[in-house]
Amino acid sequence: MIKTASRKRPQGSIADAGFGLLLCLPAIVLLGLFVVWPFAYGFWISLHAWDGFSKMTWNGGANYLRLFRDRIFLIAIENNVIFLVLTLVLKNVLGIALALLLNGVARGRAFVRAVTFIPVTMSFVAVGLLWSWVYNPVFGLLNEGLDVFGLGALKRSWLGDANIAIYSIVAVEVWKWVGFHAVLYLAGLQTIPADYLEAAKLDGANAWHRLVRITLPLLSPIIFINVILGVSGAFVRNFDIVYVLTKGGPNHSTEVVLTAMIAEAFQNTSMGYAAAMGYALFLIVGLVSIGLIALMRARRVAL
Amino acid sequence: MKAHATPSANSQMSGQTGVLARFGIYIALGVAVIQTVYPLLWVLFGSLKDNQQLFANPWGLPTSLYFENYVQAWKIAGLGTRLMNSIIVTVAALTTIVLVSTPCAYAVARLKFPGRNALLLLIVAAMLVPPQITAIPLFITARDMGLINSRIGVAIIMAATSIPLSVFILRSFFLGLPAELEDAARMDGAGRFAILFRVMLPLARPGIALVVIYQFIDVWNEFFLAFLLLRRPEVQTIPMGLVAFFQEFDSLWTLYFAALVITTLPVIIVFLLMQRHFISGLTAGAVKG
Repeated sequence: MIKTASRKRPQGSIADAGFGLLLCLPAIVLLGLFVVWPFAYGFWISLHAWDGFSKMTWNGGANYLRLFRDRIFLIAIENNVIFLVLTLVLKNVLGIALALLLNGVARGRAFVRAVTFIPVTMSFVAVGLLWSWVYNPVFGLLNEGLDVFGLGALKRSWLGDANIAIYSIVAVEVWKWVGFHAVLYLAGLQTIPADYLEAAKLDGANAWHRLVRITLPLLSPIIFINVILGVSGAFVRNFDIVYVLTKGGPNHSTEVVLTAMIAEAFQNTSMGYAAAMGYALFLIVGLVSIGLIALMRARRVAL
Repeated sequence: MKAHATPSANSQMSGQTGVLARFGIYIALGVAVIQTVYPLLWVLFGSLKDNQQLFANPWGLPTSLYFENYVQAWKIAGLGTRLMNSIIVTVAALTTIVLVSTPCAYAVARLKFPGRNALLLLIVAAMLVPPQITAIPLFITARDMGLINSRIGVAIIMAATSIPLSVFILRSFFLGLPAELEDAARMDGAGRFAILFRVMLPLARPGIALVVIYQFIDVWNEFFLAFLLLRRPEVQTIPMGLVAFFQEFDSLWTLYFAALVITTLPVIIVFLLMQRHFISGLTAGAVKG
């Protein structure tokens, strides 16, 4: 490749102040207007009682204090945590498993990889509508399937039962993303030199030990990427799927922070309180991400 | 991916894997394929049945093909308008993303200018603040600027929130380009714009293609911002149209299936045709980064 043959220029070595700024100006304007400004303005809004139209009334941190006593918000936080932990574990375990299976065969690999990637390309809306039919208690695929296999006793109203609805949503999220994570893991597996595994095999390590002692440690950078993607997905990109499948119901049992926030803003028209929910979510995602990064760093040093 | 060609673990391992083990692997892969494909095929079959067939035989193949569902769904769900809206939003957003991100990515990668490091920091930080978190102030800002119910307005907002990732991807492409080309052009007396447009942009085309493919899927499927900002039915995009169709009419199952096929199949076909580029782009970024 050309890349290796030629000299790489260190980043930004050509001093050209005016031209550089000119090229970045449109990006700076758009980011300023629709990313930076809303972020700052939102914090200001969150410190007020405001219906979005009349005059804002300063109420200090009252909105934030209210979060701790808000039953729906607390349910939403709990659901976000359930959603985060379960989707993170399932997407990664199933993703690694599928990648290992794909790595074990040569024929049919591209086909299976492409097929399991299809749900990734579908919108959350399409996936959500599809699964609301799979879960349909009257003629849905899942209940019909349980009947066929003689498991009729397990039939449920998968989205209508407040005790299990959140888990039904988790399953859909996992279904949509497993192929994505498997593709990343497969690429990671293919960078592991065969010699390592061969040597371990000769030393008498069984398949499980080779997986845990060699493959997984060498995959840790990829695991890290998958986990970070999973965290932001689980916290911040779950509005669509919950809205389409249950709208946070039945009886708020599947509410997540984003659905609670939108309901607060547009049904109860309390913009200040809704903005505070957004900030609380940001704070939690930030802390979880920082915690995970620290954890992975520490693990990697130890390895 | 070039990984297919490298003599890594795969070929040797599969060579040594026993017949029984390989059989087990294929069974497991078969399960993975079926659990992905069956629900999708089920929608396709359902879209070709009439109501009676659907309830009498929810599982199996349609006995006769009932294309009338497609005509009805197209009309009742207003898919023509929605499709048009989706095309407008997607084209406007992708154009904005490419026009705004590419020059900036080049500047950040190659030029020295005041505030460059601050801008890079902002770009990384902005990737951590998705628009969902700032939904409320974003809605207010868009309202005050008169962008509610504006397809172009929503497209620009979607573009703005996609700029950080796009600049980030393109920057790594520009960083990888050889320095000689730029120097040679400069010595030949090429001006700044000529270097950017004639020399650098053509070389960065694979990077631009990657950004376009990813953002296409993202923008085409986008629901949250459209839901937040496009309130009137006549400006709504396909994902919103599907939700509205589903919620407004009761139990038109076969028509729902047809609407889902119409709106989802084109994207799946595009993906299947381009899947090699798609997947290699994805894995190149992840394994390197």
